[in-house]
Amino acid sequence: MSLRIGVVGAGGFGQAIALASARNGHSVVLWSRRARELPPPIQTSTDIGDLESCELIFVAVPARHAIEVAEHLCEVVDGRHLITHVSRGLVGADLKTITQVMREKTVCRRLGALAGPLVAAALAEGRPSGAILGTGFPELTSMVRDALGGAGLRIYETQDVIGVELASATVGFLTVVLAYAREVGAEPGTLAVLATRGMVEVSRIGQTLGADESTFLGLAGLGDLIAAVAGDQRPELQLGRALAQGIDLTSAIGEAGAYVEGIEVAGHLMEHARRLGLETPISSTFVAVSEGRMTSDDAIQELMERRVGKE
Amino acid sequence: MLKRFLSERPLRLPHFRPYVPRPSDPSIFWFNSERDDIVSDVVKRICASHESDRARLEIALNDAAFHEIRRLEKQRDDEARDRLGYWRAMIRRIGKMDDSEQRRVLHTIVTNMARDVAGNFDPRVYRFARRAVPRLIGGVMEPRRLTQDLMAPAPQALSRVLKAQGDVEHLRDLRTRGTLVFVPTHSSNLDSIVLAQALDDCGLPPVVYGAGKNLFTNPIISFFMHNLGAYRVDRRIRVSLYKEVLKLYSQVMIERGYHSLFFPGGTRSRSGMIEQRLKLGLLGSAVEAFTTNEVRRVDRPVWFVPTTINYALVLEAETLINDWLMEEGQARYIIEDDEFSRIDRWITFFRKVVGMRGACIVRFGEPIDPFGNRVDGTGCSMTPTGRVIDAGGYVEHRGTPVADYVRDAAYTRELGEVLAQRYETETVLMSTQVVAHVLFRDLVQATPGMDLFARLRLRGEIRLDREAVCQKLGEARDRLREIEEKGRVLTSDVVKEDSPAELLERALGFWNGYHDSTAASLEGDQVVLRDPSLLLYYQNRLVPFAQDIAQPDQLEAACEIESLGVLR
Repeated sequence: MSLRIGVVGAGGFGQAIALASARNGHSVVLWSRRARELPPPIQTSTDIGDLESCELIFVAVPARHAIEVAEHLCEVVDGRHLITHVSRGLVGADLKTITQVMREKTVCRRLGALAGPLVAAALAEGRPSGAILGTGFPELTSMVRDALGGAGLRIYETQDVIGVELASATVGFLTVVLAYAREVGAEPGTLAVLATRGMVEVSRIGQTLGADESTFLGLAGLGDLIAAVAGDQRPELQLGRALAQGIDLTSAIGEAGAYVEGIEVAGHLMEHARRLGLETPISSTFVAVSEGRMTSDDAIQELMERRVGKE
Repeated sequence: MLKRFLSERPLRLPHFRPYVPRPSDPSIFWFNSERDDIVSDVVKRICASHESDRARLEIALNDAAFHEIRRLEKQRDDEARDRLGYWRAMIRRIGKMDDSEQRRVLHTIVTNMARDVAGNFDPRVYRFARRAVPRLIGGVMEPRRLTQDLMAPAPQALSRVLKAQGDVEHLRDLRTRGTLVFVPTHSSNLDSIVLAQALDDCGLPPVVYGAGKNLFTNPIISFFMHNLGAYRVDRRIRVSLYKEVLKLYSQVMIERGYHSLFFPGGTRSRSGMIEQRLKLGLLGSAVEAFTTNEVRRVDRPVWFVPTTINYALVLEAETLINDWLMEEGQARYIIEDDEFSRIDRWITFFRKVVGMRGACIVRFGEPIDPFGNRVDGTGCSMTPTGRVIDAGGYVEHRGTPVADYVRDAAYTRELGEVLAQRYETETVLMSTQVVAHVLFRDLVQATPGMDLFARLRLRGEIRLDREAVCQKLGEARDRLREIEEKGRVLTSDVVKEDSPAELLERALGFWNGYHDSTAASLEGDQVVLRDPSLLLYYQNRLVPFAQDIAQPDQLEAACEIESLGVLR
């Protein structure tokens, strides 16, 4: 079945999706604000109206552009369209996920979030990898598998859309924490504790927003974190290392070479947790360190002195 | 015996001449002529969905027999004596039945269930109820005015107490173009009566709705329920087939254009909080009704009207909050011994509210399609920017409308979320709720570190300075105005217009003399917190807004109150 696929965003992920879809025999139109050149048969466009005839649309833009893109899409999509995004961030202080933004700003309802240890280069080149699609619509899963799947990519599915989006957004922050800890000399055991307890901490917050704990322990959470610390060259690793070297947050973000949302997301999560009276020791400590309010030694001491409970 | 007779054999008035509906009559007037067809449609669809799969059919029969035997063994009443033998004999025979016998048994069971569910509509009872109910309630409220009200074209007492708000004109435009499904919040067993009255006051059509079978045990209420189109829901029956019958009955009614009402909260809000976790069964039936009409190319869309019913005084407040606190809310899904069943409490309640301006506000929210989109006056779905779209596109697959149960279930879950959001923004905060919140927040502030239940035991122990309370009320009201301007919530005219001192006095007046113990009272210059459980109940409506209306020194207490929302 040949699909007409639209891709929003010409960054690394957007191009990879366009290439993978075209390789699977679908007709692809890639929309971006600035004109781009991509190899045929991929059609590029700066006219959002060209997406109207697409059945499936991938949104591959950073979370900070999500509202603007949704407002553009609002002019062309309706109930017939299916949309999946691949963003790893949240919007604003009230922790809105991208699907929530899409639901608010457009009339598209058949929405999904593609996440997990999927990287743009592997997708573009068709190397073996895996991902998870959060959606309540089996027809969307089927179309995304048709578009991107095949021998090179295993796409698992879950109905826990918000869980996938929150897990994916918080992995960025935990990656910064782990990169920082490794740079200041933390041993594998310490890293393992930080990773697992950090994931528990964010999943506890996620559950108050409607997510399932198990999603954080699957491909969208721990799976993605393992890929990140195994060294898939994410900017979060660079940011964590720079912070550990004593570089201030603004310069460290500059050094990471890409927009990293993890620290901002962590700040918003902590605020949400505070409102509900939840404890967030790892996030709070790390945000204090990243803002220069605490040294790494003090941070480790504070975390180690906490009362130990059941897992 | 009489109770059973009345609940099993509804009283109907004799028909000397069949009523022929006029074109201008609401759709419900056609119900009696269509009832047999509706029952047969329900039976046909359920049987068809089971007949092709023998294993499924056998499971359904076993499930029905198992649950009915269990229920009847517990009941040990006349019904048990009549029916237990049938089900016991059946469960022994299911395995030995051939295909055709199993299908025949299924047909019999489903037909009996559908007939039991289906209601009746008598235009004479409808006209009588329209005239009599407001006057009766008015008479209870103000016996001195009963004679005047009986003569008046429209009774005054009820209209002083009940106020309907919202874009009623829009709803009137839609009523002949498709099916309206009213989905209100649920606080009291009075809700259906109040809503019926509000619909009538606004010139909106009557609706059909499912009423718990326990309501049919009262002969007078049973008579009205039976003859006004209500369908009976027996919550004691756990049989899967019965749930299918209920859902499909509701779906077929909506497909055929009968304006409907159901409470997505499932049961009355025990805590008093705005419902957030909605039961999706009946909502799903309305979404599937939309799909079925699209697939059959029937141009009869379905629209939902999020509605909030807001009371300054709740008839059953004490029972409900105690039930929530005992964490027996689930176990006591059907409460039969609350204030609703006591006529003395009804009289006290109505007499209490009549002197109070704006005691009940029914707020009709903007109608939405099954996918959460706004609709214009002609019923067309719109994007947030006002572009008209075809709602049928949502059920299309590659250009063709198709039935897809899983897809529709996902749409229903999302619709549930939209309704929960709309309930917050369409809630009208009443004087008692705002005052209770300020008092309860002071209680939390005065007892740091204490758990909820310890606080609720502090009856009469917390005294607050009246002047300070009035000041905090004024501040809270100012903050409420700010969030009202942002469209997050609404407040009643009384909350907007009264001075803080008047607001306090009004709330204390509502509580005093109706509930067994008043929530708070005045002693000189002090406000004494008498019943923190009642304060909790009334203030719970403000849980989502606690931090938004708190001053910096009240934030910690507000946080604690907001965290109660996680329990709901």
